[in-house]
Amino acid sequence: MKKRVKAIIQVIMVIGIFLTLGIWQTTQADAADNSLQRIKQRGELIMVTSPDYPPYEFQVNKNGKSRIVGMDIDVAKKVAKDLHVKLVIKSMNFDSLLVAIQTGKADMAIGGINPTTTRRQSVDFSKIYYSGGQSFLINSSDVNKYKSVKNLRGATIGAQTGTLQYGLAKKKIPNSTVKGMDKSTDLVLALKTHKIDALGIEKPSAEAYVKNDPSLKMIPSGYHLDKNEVGAAIAFKKGSDSLVNAVNKSIDQIKQQHLTDQYLASAGKYMKVNTVNTSMWHYWSYFAKGVEYTILISIVATFFGVLIGVILALMRFSKQKWIRGLAISYTEFIRGTPLMVQVMFVYFGIGVVVNIPALISGMIAVSLNSGAYVAEIIRGGINSVAAGQTEAAESLGLSKRDMMRFVILPQAFKNIWPALGNEFISLIKESSIVSIIGVTDLIYQLNIVRADTYRGVMPIFVAMLLYFIMTFALTRLLNHYEGKMKHAG
Amino acid sequence: MQDKTILEVKHLSKKFGETDVLKDIDGTVKSGEVICVIGPSGAGKSTFLRCLNLLEKPTSGEVNFEGTDLTNVDDKQLVKLRERMGMVFQSFNLFPNMTVIENLKLAPIRVKGMADAEAEKTGMHLLGLVGLQEKAHVYPSSLSGGQQQRVAIARALAMNPEVMLFDEPTSALDPEMVGEVLEVMQKLANEGMTMVVVTHEMGFAKEVADEVWFMADGYILEKGKPEDVFDHPQNERAKDFIGKIIQSV
Ligand SMILES: Nc1ncnc2c1ncn2[C@@H]1O[C@H](COP(=O)(O)OP(=O)(O)OP(=O)(O)O)[C@@H](O)[C@H]1O
Ligand SMILES: [Mg+2]
Repeated sequence: MKKRVKAIIQVIMVIGIFLTLGIWQTTQADAADNSLQRIKQRGELIMVTSPDYPPYEFQVNKNGKSRIVGMDIDVAKKVAKDLHVKLVIKSMNFDSLLVAIQTGKADMAIGGINPTTTRRQSVDFSKIYYSGGQSFLINSSDVNKYKSVKNLRGATIGAQTGTLQYGLAKKKIPNSTVKGMDKSTDLVLALKTHKIDALGIEKPSAEAYVKNDPSLKMIPSGYHLDKNEVGAAIAFKKGSDSLVNAVNKSIDQIKQQHLTDQYLASAGKYMKVNTVNTSMWHYWSYFAKGVEYTILISIVATFFGVLIGVILALMRFSKQKWIRGLAISYTEFIRGTPLMVQVMFVYFGIGVVVNIPALISGMIAVSLNSGAYVAEIIRGGINSVAAGQTEAAESLGLSKRDMMRFVILPQAFKNIWPALGNEFISLIKESSIVSIIGVTDLIYQLNIVRADTYRGVMPIFVAMLLYFIMTFALTRLLNHYEGKMKHAG
Repeated sequence: MQDKTILEVKHLSKKFGETDVLKDIDGTVKSGEVICVIGPSGAGKSTFLRCLNLLEKPTSGEVNFEGTDLTNVDDKQLVKLRERMGMVFQSFNLFPNMTVIENLKLAPIRVKGMADAEAEKTGMHLLGLVGLQEKAHVYPSSLSGGQQQRVAIARALAMNPEVMLFDEPTSALDPEMVGEVLEVMQKLANEGMTMVVVTHEMGFAKEVADEVWFMADGYILEKGKPEDVFDHPQNERAKDFIGKIIQSV
């Protein structure tokens, strides 16, 4: 029996992999280039960015409204204007930007992306619109220790995962340890708390930080690099020549008229606005929106998770072997893979076939995940109902369905209420992973506030408090109902 | 009417893996008869009773219920036939998530499609019969063992069965509660209900049973009128068993 289950799981996994690969191939082989035409027809240019990288792109809170601004946004606006279409901005982790392009989630990715040879293998790039250069941020207290990049030999260096800086530090600083993190805000915090000695970052970003935080200093990288390693370009899906050519025309103008200087200046202004009021109260609307989304996702996932869980649990009691096998495989597979991968799979993988918005993808992934866990809890609950109950129901001539519905499940639910409660609580916490695909939940908002205020710890504390309030309130609510049920039984 | 055969068992055997629990059982239950099954622990009495309504699937042999061989029908038919046999368990097995009256109404409504009001009416009537009308709206957990078992009897009766199967209905009860349950069972017998009762209550068997079947080692070793079986048992094992029981009383 065990062997058979294993075999079934393997078959399903293999099928799943081939299916996705197949879909991937077919979409990539999409030969005719209608990239420009499609955007004009739609009247919208969808760009994706990772807005935690001032002055390239970052979020500001103006008049109570959150906006993404920065040099890159101005570049994108200019491109959209020249194409006579509306600009739509999506945000996501830097790591996911190129994947989003490949899977058609957006028309272009812009975010201080360096058009390296490796990246050129998977996406097309526009001309370089800005050459910033590489530098390092260090603590002001270390200026004497790290006078130049030569002194960084053997140091611990931080860089954003998936960026050029990460690769360069690894390659060019001898004996160094390179620590990668997702968010530049986290990296700055790591630097300030001396978890890392220096932070590899593009020059304009470094300058922005130094301007806003006197405890930081910048040193030039001293790297000898070709222009593809210092310049920023816009990424497109492979085979989008018509679109790339059109965008390059705008970039030519940007360069001729030195527009990036202007863009950087206005980004700098936003950053000044930004540091005026960094109290957490000022950002309450960010946190409120985050809480709203976190609760929304949790409620939806709880509902569908229980639904899926009940179905799976009942499948486990089916007479048909293949139905049982299917339920077992599903449960084992979901429990054997991280939620984060599942979220990315639903958004990017399934997204290749049908374009599902990030929020819905997040809800689907978390529901599917929760369903597997709920199924196991319910199965345990059903098994915990005394055998005599089944016999009594059978001897009265109740059908299997009625027996489940009226006798077994109500008792099972009562037995598993505490375990189910735990699952709901962990759902609130674990749903935080959807922020990686740009769902504006509490974690996502937390990162924006951090990028926005240059305050590393306070926003974390606020988010922690908010999570605790949510879970604690839910615990109390569940206890209340548990008490009620005890009363009834 | 007295002669109508309700249950007829032929060459019934049951194995659990390698162990033969029932070996070769024959027996007939006629309408209105009360059969008491007695025997030592592990004799196979419960297994036998559970084979009568196919809660346990016999390994071989026939169980004819009103002329239909239950071992030979599909699941759907079995459910239909089973609703006409009531069963009462040692451990009551009331549904703890429902009130007493809900316990009584569930099967008539879901299985027979009875209207709620009618189910309520018959339910209350049956609760009256077992003397528990005032407990209709409480949950089983607040009842004593004896009360729970009376409710369980009423619940089985609510399906208006042809025959009632009892598996040691009083052995999980405190001694002072045994009487109230036996009283209800005696009342049922007097009203002409066909009953198969596995019991250790020899007094009840003597007074109420039409026939006593003595079981041991998977066989029915002795069958007869209570006075014959109790006073002049033919079989050695039966002699031994009855001797011990009478001593201990
Ligand atoms: N589901 C089962 N699987 C395996 N063996 C079983 C099962 N049910 C009963 N048995 C065995 O069958 C034999 C007869 O059991 P049964 O419960 O029918 O005896 P009984 O006469 O009712 O005894 P008691 O007076 O103790 O209730 C016992 O040895 C028991 O261990
Ligand atoms: Mg028994």
